[in-house]
Amino acid sequence: MNLDINVTNLNDKSTCAVAGEIDIYTAPKLKEAILPLTKQKGQLVEVDLENVSYMDSTGLGVFISALKSTKENDSQLKLVNLQDRVLRLFNITGLNEIMDLNSTIHGGK
Amino acid sequence: MGNVIDLDAKNYKSLLKNYIETQDEKFLYRAEQISKSFLKNNILPEEIVNLHMQALDELYPSLSGEFQRSMNFLLETMISYGLAHQEFQTLREEQLALKSQIAVAASMQDTLLATSKPNIEGLDIGVISVPANQMNGDYHHFIESNDGSIGIALADVIGKGVPAALCMSMIKYSMDSFPENAMQPKSILENLNRVVERNVDPSMFITMFYAQYQPKDNKLHYASAGHEPGFYYNAKRDKFEEIEAKGLVLGVSLDAKYHQYNLHINKDDMIILLTDGVTECRQGERFIEREEVLNVIRDHAHLSAQEMVDRVYKYFQRLQNFQLRDDFTLIILRKDV
Amino acid sequence: MGTQSCINIQKEWDIVGARQLGRDIAKKIGFGTVDQARIATAVSELARNIYLYADSGKVCFEAIETIDKKGISMIAIDSGPGISDISLVMQDGYSTSRGLGAGLPGVKRLMDEFDLISEKEQGTEVKTIKWLR
Repeated sequence: MNLDINVTNLNDKSTCAVAGEIDIYTAPKLKEAILPLTKQKGQLVEVDLENVSYMDSTGLGVFISALKSTKENDSQLKLVNLQDRVLRLFNITGLNEIMDLNSTIHGGK
Repeated sequence: MGNVIDLDAKNYKSLLKNYIETQDEKFLYRAEQISKSFLKNNILPEEIVNLHMQALDELYPSLSGEFQRSMNFLLETMISYGLAHQEFQTLREEQLALKSQIAVAASMQDTLLATSKPNIEGLDIGVISVPANQMNGDYHHFIESNDGSIGIALADVIGKGVPAALCMSMIKYSMDSFPENAMQPKSILENLNRVVERNVDPSMFITMFYAQYQPKDNKLHYASAGHEPGFYYNAKRDKFEEIEAKGLVLGVSLDAKYHQYNLHINKDDMIILLTDGVTECRQGERFIEREEVLNVIRDHAHLSAQEMVDRVYKYFQRLQNFQLRDDFTLIILRKDV
Repeated sequence: MGTQSCINIQKEWDIVGARQLGRDIAKKIGFGTVDQARIATAVSELARNIYLYADSGKVCFEAIETIDKKGISMIAIDSGPGISDISLVMQDGYSTSRGLGAGLPGVKRLMDEFDLISEKEQGTEVKTIKWLR
């Protein structure tokens, strides 16, 4: 099981295109990629989850710590293109209420 | 150890000679046994090559110098394998020591988190909770109050194993410190949320479902902190419905508020509570859909609640080739009067 | 006590020279084929550590003798960055899992006595002995 993370930076915006499965084995890699970005003041960190077919609760943990970091460092976190199965996790856990999620591609189903 | 190699050296030489002369399979079989004896006595590969060199030298003193030097070369290449073997042995011993420590911790956890199924007239309760590894990151607890109601707590810590189990002990002790009575599900979650937020790593969180059943008026009061939704089985309509309860997981936001819901329970109705280990089961690459759990329950609805949860567990255990990926907890309550 | 022979380690080929010198001395003391190979491997590990982690250093050999036994002593000294967590590098699996070979635990296994002193920014000294049986 692999996870590919591709980060592109443009001015104050970092886009992380993530592809693969996020689980207990790959979550540390995701954390290493995202957390430092959220520590830059004023940065908008956009995580594109279009190619993430599976995520378990350890993945949610990574996004929760990233969210906490944005509050401490005055940066922003935005998750886009969530697939249904992944979106469901955010909805169940109530995180959809406190996180900036945009799932227009798959959410309409 | 020196004795073993001396003894085997004699044996080895005569076997080698016999084999070279007859090529009889039985000598190869004896060689296999010697090989096992070497392994058992930690004889390293370079020592075996050396044994071979000595035996050859004694049996066939006229072998070419090139051949002897090639054996030296072989011996040299075996040194790292010998080291790897020794390292492997040490690591294996360490692993055994760790395993037995974890076993002790697991049995402590069992004692700490022990809960017993309450006996409530008219309520049939079935529970099963199985850890994926030795220690359980799921937690369930029954609390009987003086007013005749029972509280049911079901929680799941992110991740599994030792860290999750440590976290669970914290939840258990916080709950114990709450006053016996008059604790509404929503206030229990709000209090726990503050404890978790203050005490755990930012990437750690806990989901929890807390329900209180009052047999006097057949009402279930409940609240959820981001927990995997359970099901309500309406016997009259013969239908399963998802128990909807919104709420943020514990430990994320200090001032999270929880909403409390009510449900009226009639005869033969069921409440099914679970952790995501139940619905995140995978069969190869295929995810098991939540409805599948319900089908299994429906198939065994004629049994007692305990037999039902046992059957569901067995079903999913088999689907996953008897190797649970995540901790598994399932509770079924059925009103049978 | 014999005299000390040293070999400086700067480039990878110096490792080969150190192995050869170690093996020759071991042979002279009377070590058998298997032990010669083990001593040479231990020299390799020590010399390679110097080559990889310190800019320069040396490995010194000495034939030693007590009332009842003979042996070889090897000392590897470098002025590199030092080892910040000695327990960690002495842990089984630490070096092998990084594909770095047997590492210092390997040297300890190949030899009979092993001692290590390391100061941050000042360097590392490994002293090790193998006795002739």
